[in-house]
Amino acid sequence: MITNEIKEKIRAVVGPENALDSNLDLFGYSYDSSFIPLLPANKPDFVVRPLTTAEVAEVMKIAYANDIPVTPRGAASGRTGGSVPLAGGIALSLDRMTNVIELDEPNMMITVEPGVRTIDLYNLCAEKGLFYPPDPASWKFSTIGGNVAENAGGMRAVKYGVTTNYVMGLEVVLADGTILNTGGKALKNVTGYNLTSLFTGSEGTLGIITKIILRLIPMPKVRNTLQLMFPSLDEACSTIHKMLQSGVVPAAAELMDKIGLQAVARTRKLDIDPNTEACVVIEIDADDEAGLDKQAQQIDVIAHEFNVTEVRIAKSFQESEDIWAIRRGLSSAVGAMAPTRFGEDISVPRSEFPEMVRRIRKISEKHNLVIAVYGHAGDGNLHPSVLCDLTVPGEEERVHKAVDEIFAEALAVGGTLSGEHGIGITKRAYITDALGEAGVNALKAVKRAFDPKGLLNPGKIW
Amino acid sequence: MKDDKKEKLLQEVRSIVSQCDRCGSCLPVCPLFREKDVEASSARGKNNIARALIQGGLELTPDVLSAVNFCLLCRACVDICPSKIKTDEAMMSVRQHFADKQGGASIKYKAMGGMLKSRPLVKLASGSLKVLRKIGLNRLIPGGMIPDQYTRKQFLAAFAGPAALAGPAPASTVSLSPETKVAYFQGCGMRMMFPDAVSDTLAILQTVTKPAVVDNLCCGLPHVAHGLREEFLEMAKENMRLFANADVIVSDCASCSGTLKHIAGYFKDDPAWKDRAAEFSAKIMDLTEYLVKAGYQPRLRTNATLTFHEPCHLGRGQGIKNQPRELLKAAGNYVEMSGADTCCGGAGSFHIDYPDISAGILDKKRKNIEKTGAQIVVTECPVCLVQMNKAAEKSGGKFRAMHISQVI
Ligand SMILES: Cc1cc2nc3c(=O)[nH]c(=O)nc-3n(C[C@H](O)[C@H](O)[C@H](O)COP(=O)(O)OP(=O)(O)OC[C@H]3O[C@@H](n4cnc5c(N)ncnc54)[C@H](O)[C@@H]3O)c2cc1C
Ligand code: SF4
Ligand code: SF4
Repeated sequence: MITNEIKEKIRAVVGPENALDSNLDLFGYSYDSSFIPLLPANKPDFVVRPLTTAEVAEVMKIAYANDIPVTPRGAASGRTGGSVPLAGGIALSLDRMTNVIELDEPNMMITVEPGVRTIDLYNLCAEKGLFYPPDPASWKFSTIGGNVAENAGGMRAVKYGVTTNYVMGLEVVLADGTILNTGGKALKNVTGYNLTSLFTGSEGTLGIITKIILRLIPMPKVRNTLQLMFPSLDEACSTIHKMLQSGVVPAAAELMDKIGLQAVARTRKLDIDPNTEACVVIEIDADDEAGLDKQAQQIDVIAHEFNVTEVRIAKSFQESEDIWAIRRGLSSAVGAMAPTRFGEDISVPRSEFPEMVRRIRKISEKHNLVIAVYGHAGDGNLHPSVLCDLTVPGEEERVHKAVDEIFAEALAVGGTLSGEHGIGITKRAYITDALGEAGVNALKAVKRAFDPKGLLNPGKIW
Repeated sequence: MKDDKKEKLLQEVRSIVSQCDRCGSCLPVCPLFREKDVEASSARGKNNIARALIQGGLELTPDVLSAVNFCLLCRACVDICPSKIKTDEAMMSVRQHFADKQGGASIKYKAMGGMLKSRPLVKLASGSLKVLRKIGLNRLIPGGMIPDQYTRKQFLAAFAGPAALAGPAPASTVSLSPETKVAYFQGCGMRMMFPDAVSDTLAILQTVTKPAVVDNLCCGLPHVAHGLREEFLEMAKENMRLFANADVIVSDCASCSGTLKHIAGYFKDDPAWKDRAAEFSAKIMDLTEYLVKAGYQPRLRTNATLTFHEPCHLGRGQGIKNQPRELLKAAGNYVEMSGADTCCGGAGSFHIDYPDISAGILDKKRKNIEKTGAQIVVTECPVCLVQMNKAAEKSGGKFRAMHISQVI
């Protein structure tokens, strides 16, 4: 509950049109893109949409003084419930903070507010020949603030790393409204603890990110896309490993199994050979065409060692886009196959990718559930999607068992619970298995240090 | 029976919205979300409102009704959605559900629907527009909307001067089989607001065929969009009867052709009408679709710089994108504007219900038109044309708006 008096104070800070409390608006800010049920809705008591750091700081001061929980929110494209306001209170939507503060070409850095959409940031840099590599599949609609808060990864991680590899500095509003600056533009910086990387991936539980300094690299001059079809998943994985070992590092190497592939084929009306068990989409980049051709040839040769059935090298930008559209449409096409989908995000050592897929297949058979598997084969991050109909008696229980077993197997092969989507609400139950008591206690100690009242995004991570 | 229908309607909505996994892909493309960036404006927001409504998380309150009414039915979200969630259809069905529940559509939409259903009234309106004013719907044709129709004559006088004339376009190579019976479907909006364009359409059609002019009823889009589904189905049946003899039915209004092509879907569970409806929908052609197929060549090539505003019901609604552009390229200097397929904010009566939002959307469109340097913005839907006229006026004479029939 937030009293009218407090609401008025907040309205005075952000303007009445940016502080919403109609039932319909509260409902609109109650969900994200995770499979947490829509109903009963986790409605906030107040939706607040600040425009500046000063406004964020004022709102936090009021919240702090009145013990009101605050859940930051970008575009709510998160897959683990991070922006779902579990404890009510304020849903702090940062999507109006969309200024690009500076594009510093000599230092190759960009400073932006958190509400900027990832793709807009990418395009802006690209115009200047600069490259911001992290490209979560959601980059056309997710915010950079959300990317930093989740330490989002993307398809290019295998060659270029994930969000944290580019975050140089942050401006963060702490729980009590204090404005903190971390890091900066200096490339070498060992002054005190590395708070920048602590806040990166903190899922909105330590502070509100209001400004982000990102490092950029020169844009690769040319790129191309390849699509490889394999009669088995093992051979697809082996191809990727052999490539990496031979020094052919693709900018992206995405793998999808037959279930996913056929799902996209249906939604995009493509004809795909039913004998294809795995498809790999590869992006390569280089300084010139000759460099591209050489890599494409090397990949072709390696793939043939592993019985590839089709090697398609894009001949035009449009063809590249067509191939990528298969990968980008995958998640939702799989989701549409059943009334409910539990999409997971686990990460294993790269060499264990095929083994992990085999273990998932066993789990799928054991519980009689369809599980589609796809992921970033280049870096061992996979997304098993358990497809189900929760209205079928007993199905829910089987799904939960299957998901539990998937996590257990991921940890057993030396992997972890989340590659890129974070823990949020949906993976809380497993955090101790992954980090151990000591690990979780350390997280809690950090949390207490920054947010002693526990107001920021309560109910997340553990 | 009544309950059956209600259940069916809800089932329709449920089967659409339950597929939305709330990914957010549709957020950046919804023209309404761009104007009013709160979740409830977006396609994701509306689909989940509908879902909560069905599952009992939200009540049928007036703000829920305004949320489902706050949709242009432009399908930009459907186009980008990885699961192709038909937000537009879901919204129409929820509106219908509201109407049924409240014992009918709102007075406003009923009055509009009733008027458009009546042939004499539509004709009267086209004569004087008095009827509209009388039943309080004059805002459907607000000031500046009685478009100062820029006629083909004026257009030619301005742009077809001998100096610039590249000579008449090559003779048309149409060879239609004499058996093909072509009929013209005259939309209410065209009839009421753009009679000159209608004459031009008929003139063009007469160069390639002998179009039968049928005294048809409204296509029913305003009805089905606003909770008057029974009326829509009734009129559809009458139109099917009226056009029983035609082989091809051509319309110069994208909303009419789009709606008529979809009639089959609305009758798919009605054994008595299923086949007729399918046959009827299959006969429908949009004007430019027909003209290109018939090999029509524009009567004249002018030196006017033209750009095209693609009606939602044409491009996304019917997949007709190339044909109008092809014709325009032959009729003048064609320049593509950015965001040509973005809704203009007209959307039936949306611009009357939400004038400010609609004006904001239109302003973006106007800027895109101005950037092309075009003298004429061409379109193929009367509501779009009204919007384009408003934009033209706002631009202070930088460009004018015309129906495609007047240009080709
Ligand atoms: C189709 C689809 C594909 C996806 N693909 C990928 C992928 O390839 N890789 C990947 O990593 N993720 C992916 N995601 C997940 C999601 O898009 C990312 O986690 C993204 O970073 C979330 O951004 P957002 O703006 O939507 O944040 P939200 O979902 O709104 O929030 C995410 C978390 O960040 C916090 N937060 C948001 N903004 C701030 C801020 N300014 N300060 C502090 N905390 C904040 C929130 O409290 C929440 O905990 C995908 C999601 C979808 C729907
Ligand atoms: S793009 Fe489709 S699935 Fe995604 S939120 Fe929008 S309507 Fe739902
Ligand atoms: S149909 Fe158009 S206006 Fe309606 S939700 Fe979709 S994009 Fe928005």
